[in-house]
Amino acid sequence: MKNPKKRRAVIIGGVRTPFLRAFGDFMPLSTIDLGAQAVKGLLKQFPIAWKEIDSMIWSGVILPSATVNVGREIIFDLGLPMEIEAYTITRVCTSSLCAITLAASAIERGEADVMIAGGSDSTSNAEVKMPQSLVHKFAPVVLSPKSTVKDYFRLLTKLNPKNDLIPQRPAIRERLTGELMGESAEKMAARNQIDRKSQDTFAMQSHQRAAKAIETGRFASEITPVELPNMKKIYADNIVRGNTSLDKLSKLKPAFAKNGTLTAGNSSTLTDGAAAVLLMEFEKAKSLGFSPLSSIRSWSYDAVDPTDQLLIGPAISMPKAMQKAGMIPMDIDLIDIHEAFAAQVLSVLKVLGSNQFAKDRLGFDKAFGEIDPKDINIHGGSIALGHPFAATGARMVITMANELKLSGKSTALLGICGAGALSAAAILEAV
Amino acid sequence: MSDYLIQLSKNPIIQKLINTMGLPKPPVELNRNNLPWEERPFNDQPVMIGQIQQTAFTKTVAETVVKGGGNPFIEKDEAIFDIFHQAGKGYGRLPQSNVIDEIHENFAPKILIFDATNLHKPEGLNQVYSFFQSHLRSLAICGRVVILSQPPATQTDISAAATARALEGFVRAMAREIGFKGATANIVYVTPDAESRLEPVLRFLLSERSAYISGQPLYITAQVISDESIPKIRPLDGKTALVTGAAQGIGAAIARTIAREGARVIIMDRPSEDIPAGKLAAEIQGSVLCCDITTPSAGDQIVEMVSKTFNGLDIVVHNAGITRDKLLVNMKPEIWDQVLDVNFRAILRVNEKLLPIMHNNARIVCLSSVSGIAGNRGQTNYAASKAGVIGFISALAPKVSDKGIAVNAVAPGFIETQMTARIPFVTQLVARRLNNLNQGGTPDDVAEAITFLCSPGASGLTGQVLRICGGALIGA
Repeated sequence: MKNPKKRRAVIIGGVRTPFLRAFGDFMPLSTIDLGAQAVKGLLKQFPIAWKEIDSMIWSGVILPSATVNVGREIIFDLGLPMEIEAYTITRVCTSSLCAITLAASAIERGEADVMIAGGSDSTSNAEVKMPQSLVHKFAPVVLSPKSTVKDYFRLLTKLNPKNDLIPQRPAIRERLTGELMGESAEKMAARNQIDRKSQDTFAMQSHQRAAKAIETGRFASEITPVELPNMKKIYADNIVRGNTSLDKLSKLKPAFAKNGTLTAGNSSTLTDGAAAVLLMEFEKAKSLGFSPLSSIRSWSYDAVDPTDQLLIGPAISMPKAMQKAGMIPMDIDLIDIHEAFAAQVLSVLKVLGSNQFAKDRLGFDKAFGEIDPKDINIHGGSIALGHPFAATGARMVITMANELKLSGKSTALLGICGAGALSAAAILEAV
Repeated sequence: MSDYLIQLSKNPIIQKLINTMGLPKPPVELNRNNLPWEERPFNDQPVMIGQIQQTAFTKTVAETVVKGGGNPFIEKDEAIFDIFHQAGKGYGRLPQSNVIDEIHENFAPKILIFDATNLHKPEGLNQVYSFFQSHLRSLAICGRVVILSQPPATQTDISAAATARALEGFVRAMAREIGFKGATANIVYVTPDAESRLEPVLRFLLSERSAYISGQPLYITAQVISDESIPKIRPLDGKTALVTGAAQGIGAAIARTIAREGARVIIMDRPSEDIPAGKLAAEIQGSVLCCDITTPSAGDQIVEMVSKTFNGLDIVVHNAGITRDKLLVNMKPEIWDQVLDVNFRAILRVNEKLLPIMHNNARIVCLSSVSGIAGNRGQTNYAASKAGVIGFISALAPKVSDKGIAVNAVAPGFIETQMTARIPFVTQLVARRLNNLNQGGTPDDVAEAITFLCSPGASGLTGQVLRICGGALIGA
């Protein structure tokens, strides 16, 4: 190191809750509960004196509107010291990766020595809102001290049962285009000519690899069991289908378009879960007796045009993160890409092979190079494991950091796409 | 100022009536785009491309189409397919086959491009014939047709030059045939060294911004030095523009459009127009210069204002103009003089003063008129002035090209303005229909074309007269 005083953030480790299909066993747990379980598991696995924790950055996509700062609530619920500062961010599906890199920045800037970063989402507890028109009609009467019984009666006569009383169903729809994310991915499949078979093959690979990782105990140290209010304990993910086959996948009906290629089988599903990561300053970790797994060599957060290819962003972020790290594709040992849809991953891989794209969109001379789908996501991904939005980035960091340690490899490249055509990438480097 | 026939044709009952009675179809309302420039002007539109083998422009055409958001349909030639595949891969716009049997029945390409730069023999015209003969019928409403060729004048081979010229006649005639559906056809002649300047011109011509330009030849050359980057959106960011006669009508439309793309606009008009000029300035955050263009000190006044507030000029649009129509035998000398002074002599005087304060890569656009090209009864003064403008730009263009300055003129045909609304009703009725599209243009049509000519991407065009006339039946 050139500058011996330069601070360096390192990842000590992380844990996640099992990922369960939405409206299953995790239904009674809010995003705060799930987050608290993940952080509790983290502190159990990496026992650190509580007073050493400086700060926590939490993240979520479906945030409870009454308590948006989920991170602070987690601290209260776990009885952690009230002095631990916490904030909560949202950056769609890249949220928890963003929380982790924010923590790394804070540590390297000297704002903190020990930080927790992570994310949680409970799609089972997405809030169903009453129409705003109802609020606008009610509020003046309810809030006015002068309102009489007569006013309330008059209010009732003004209500329109259809427009005012039917709650709005939440949906993952782009505000700008009105498209469901699956519809956007369906368009990407058509435009990049990604056929049904290659999508199903990729989905099968995801399931088989995830199942194998579970079977061989690869995730054992990463998953912390969750106790439900009825005392039942949940130990394992429940979305993975190790016994799926191309035949089974090919029988599923298109989910987003009549003659489409996207099905429930080759798309990620609504999931409940949480993940948390412990970060420290390198010297601090040494002094506390922790051995770090990896550091974050570089990252890149980007955005593209949602009306074009909504989920193509990783094709921008991944090469940019590489450039910032001063690396070439040869230097990368592992690649992990968030699987929102098989079609989206395969589109990204295809575009990564285009010199034209590299020149035009990145200003690079040469493309990253086309990647064989077999060469990424060695332990499966969001299609098989599920995708609790804000937990996914942290899950990927945890799995890859552990993989670097276990395999003795040195670098892992992560790529995530998200709503609003955002994207993120990061490069983990073994310590 | 609206066209009653277009309004009528939007009524579903009238539509039915026209269809059942077999009446001639009323004109189609043109698709126009007056929103800021976008990344993908032909987003998701099917683009059919034909060519005679692989040409020097195949790659540029492929990139233009996919970057502009078009879905390319091409013939089954391995080399060409490979070029389109390479270009399209990065944009999710992979090529598809244009063989008629392989595309579904209701397929309607929005854009037809034929790259005829390899056409050297008159016999080759048969390929142009067969491409359009088989695809023209399915061209979508308000579609676009562009043929690419090499300029006849630069060809050394006589038969190649003659064939290239033949294409212009073909395009002009084809433009008349597709006008009923609001579609346009134009020909772009590109010299081989100007390949890099083709893309922005194609983006404009194939977009909805060129709705009222039809049957025109455009010549792209590398004559003007160009060392600017070419932005796809907000092309005029950071530029300073002067628009004369900008308080109302076409001038106001030009000022708005240029400002919309990022330029700071100096609105210049006569002192009596100070109220509309002030309102416009407030709307577009522009500056006002109240000064009659014909006063001898006009040029100095502009230079003074520019040197005080701005650092030179990037764009000058000589828009100010008047008509005072009279048959020559009845024309008083004052009227003759007034028109020539405002429309012609003032431009020469003012422009001379402005040239020293113009930046490199600047743009000058003058307003000519179809009347200046074809002549018009009762407009000897006007036609002389507007033809003089054409002479002016062709003479000036080569003198400033080494500074990167492009000088062009636009020649509007029948544009729906307050000026044309004053034409006697019957004359107006006829005049509006005398073009391929059977309708008048709008001030915005002129403004969009001028904005394009003022953009960095228009460096390939200089010394030219771009007609915005819907393919007027009069004039060369």
